[in-house]
Amino acid sequence: MIMNGHPEARARRDYILEQKRGFGRRVIGVFPAYYPRELLLSMNILPVEIWDPPLESSHANAHLQSYICSVVKQGLELILQGKCRDLDAFLFPHTCDSIQNLASIVNDYLGIEKPCYFFYHPKAPYKESSRWYYIKQLEDLALRLEKQFGPLNHHEFKKKVEQGEDLRRTIGELYRRRAEGTLGLSNVEFYRILRQVEYLHPDDFLPVLTAILKRPPDRKSKGLAVIVSGILPNPPEVLEHLDRLGINVADDDFLSCSRRLLARPAISTVPFEAMADSYFGMQPCCTKGSAIEDRLKSILDKAKSSSAKGVIFQMVKFCEPELFDVPILVEGLKAEGLATLVIDTELNQGMSGQLVTRLEAFAEMIG
Amino acid sequence: MEFVVGIDVGSLSTDAVILGEEENILGYSIVGTGDSSTDAAREAMDSAAANAGVDMVRASLIISTGYGRAAVPGSGRQVTEIACHAAGAYHFFSDTELVIDIGGQDSKVIRVGKGGKVLDFAMNDKCAAGTGRFLEVMSAKLKIPLDQMGTFSLAARGEASISSVCTVFAESEVVSLVARNFPKEEIVKGLHRSVVNRVWAMTRQMSVKGGVTMTGGVAKNTGVVALMEERLGRKINVPAEPQIIGALGAALMALRHLKGAAAG
Ligand SMILES: Nc1ncnc2c1ncn2[C@@H]1O[C@H](COP(=O)(O)OP(=O)(O)OP(=O)(O)O)[C@@H](O)[C@H]1O
Ligand code: SF4
Ligand SMILES: [Mg+2]
Repeated sequence: MIMNGHPEARARRDYILEQKRGFGRRVIGVFPAYYPRELLLSMNILPVEIWDPPLESSHANAHLQSYICSVVKQGLELILQGKCRDLDAFLFPHTCDSIQNLASIVNDYLGIEKPCYFFYHPKAPYKESSRWYYIKQLEDLALRLEKQFGPLNHHEFKKKVEQGEDLRRTIGELYRRRAEGTLGLSNVEFYRILRQVEYLHPDDFLPVLTAILKRPPDRKSKGLAVIVSGILPNPPEVLEHLDRLGINVADDDFLSCSRRLLARPAISTVPFEAMADSYFGMQPCCTKGSAIEDRLKSILDKAKSSSAKGVIFQMVKFCEPELFDVPILVEGLKAEGLATLVIDTELNQGMSGQLVTRLEAFAEMIG
Repeated sequence: MEFVVGIDVGSLSTDAVILGEEENILGYSIVGTGDSSTDAAREAMDSAAANAGVDMVRASLIISTGYGRAAVPGSGRQVTEIACHAAGAYHFFSDTELVIDIGGQDSKVIRVGKGGKVLDFAMNDKCAAGTGRFLEVMSAKLKIPLDQMGTFSLAARGEASISSVCTVFAESEVVSLVARNFPKEEIVKGLHRSVVNRVWAMTRQMSVKGGVTMTGGVAKNTGVVALMEERLGRKINVPAEPQIIGALGAALMALRHLKGAAAG
């Protein structure tokens, strides 16, 4: 069992326990990807996201078909190995069929004692009713959560929504500085810091980001710029290798990062309305059914504004939503003169010799 | 400058090329990689040097490529085999727009531009399907020497259909075909077809119109080349010794590197 000895996992667990003890917070384990964070936070619930727990998968295979992504496999493994004892509940957003399937295994068949919440969000193409539907889902979830966690305090909710806006703005600035090449963080450092968003309370996470942004701008980095797309930046060895090759990830299209962490500023100041503003103001994404043209344009815009030479698709094996989009994106990017590389990865599995060769050959090609 | 060395430490073979100042091949060698990349690299370089009648210590630059590229003693630079196969194939056939390198554990398809520059590439996944290793397993199973697989396949009147791409499953298909007394020629042709189909899936993405060059050990298999030509609908360039093209590309890069350094 890797988990106990794994430094990130340990830091996460210590933090959760401290949040419970020190602030009386309750903790919900949240599966990818889109969920109303601010609503949970306003009820003094700390969302802890489950993307890629570093575990040896042994129990989960008994419940899942073999062609399933490792995000789902690792998530289920975490539950089956009894490593969710500190959690008060689970939340399953309606991300894809695989998460949906996992939700039903956990809720209907495993007989675990913890409450499971589900969150449905509208998929594109959005209609006029989509916004109404989204707000309705938020209100419904709030009602269900209130039964377990006590009443929603509207003043607190407003504060947390404002803090959410602040967080998006700050992360946006971090991305802008990186694309400009003056942030001075390696690829590994950037994502190690950003991924703390998955479990740190914004009261703790925002100061980390602000401190980084306050440092004097670094000299413009000279490496080759690329965009990386995919579900999440794992295995981290890919980033390490890009660092070694002098390739800077100048922007990304990761579901776990820019696609859901950045959004246009909300217009409304009414909490539920503001949350709808940011949901519909997020970047195009296959798990939201966005039109492929929109996603292509979004990646092309990123490439243009960061002078990236190419796009690397870091695929989670068997991720269906991504598999549908990627061939079309590759074709579209190539037509615009961008180099592309598609790599298949397994979470927490490090790098094979073949993967190293692909990355190096890509670096030679765009260099 | 006397000569440069290119060395390709692949998963199955380690190949070295000694190149003179005029891009002339002075000598080369092909040895098995075995269990030590470093030992194989040493052996290949010594043997190529003996073949060229030169002393390795006088090499101006060694560039290494292939899976074991980091383990080559004395290597001054490392380059991936993608770039090296492109450069090597372009050296012999300047009409090359696509290189198909089928080696022991990998098959690679490389789109090549002017001067042998890599424009795009695709590589097979981790498994052995569509690679030389697949053919080696089958040649052992059928008790047909590797270098005769091509002749067998070309002599086939019909063709067995091998439905699995997976080496393990295909092997059991072969066993049952043998048990049913299916002509070996037709089984071999079916196996070659399965390799070609795997590689074709990558080739198709590249949609090139110009020359196609095959490199790597499997290009020595005339059966695979013939089926690939059938699939593409045109002739394929095959160098006289396709297995050393990666090493040749590395040597060419060494030469260009030194000339570039001298010029500026
Ligand atoms: N004389 C031959 N006739 C037919 N096939 C051959 C012959 N010699 C080698 N091969 C094929 O070539 C393969 C090895 O090719 P090569 O030496 O290019 O691989 P490699 O470079 O070591 O591997 P990789 O590039 O995947 O690391 C063998 O698996 C075999 O199928
Ligand atoms: S979006 Fe892809 S990686 Fe994420 S859970 Fe669904 S199938 Fe798995
Ligand atoms: Mg090779």
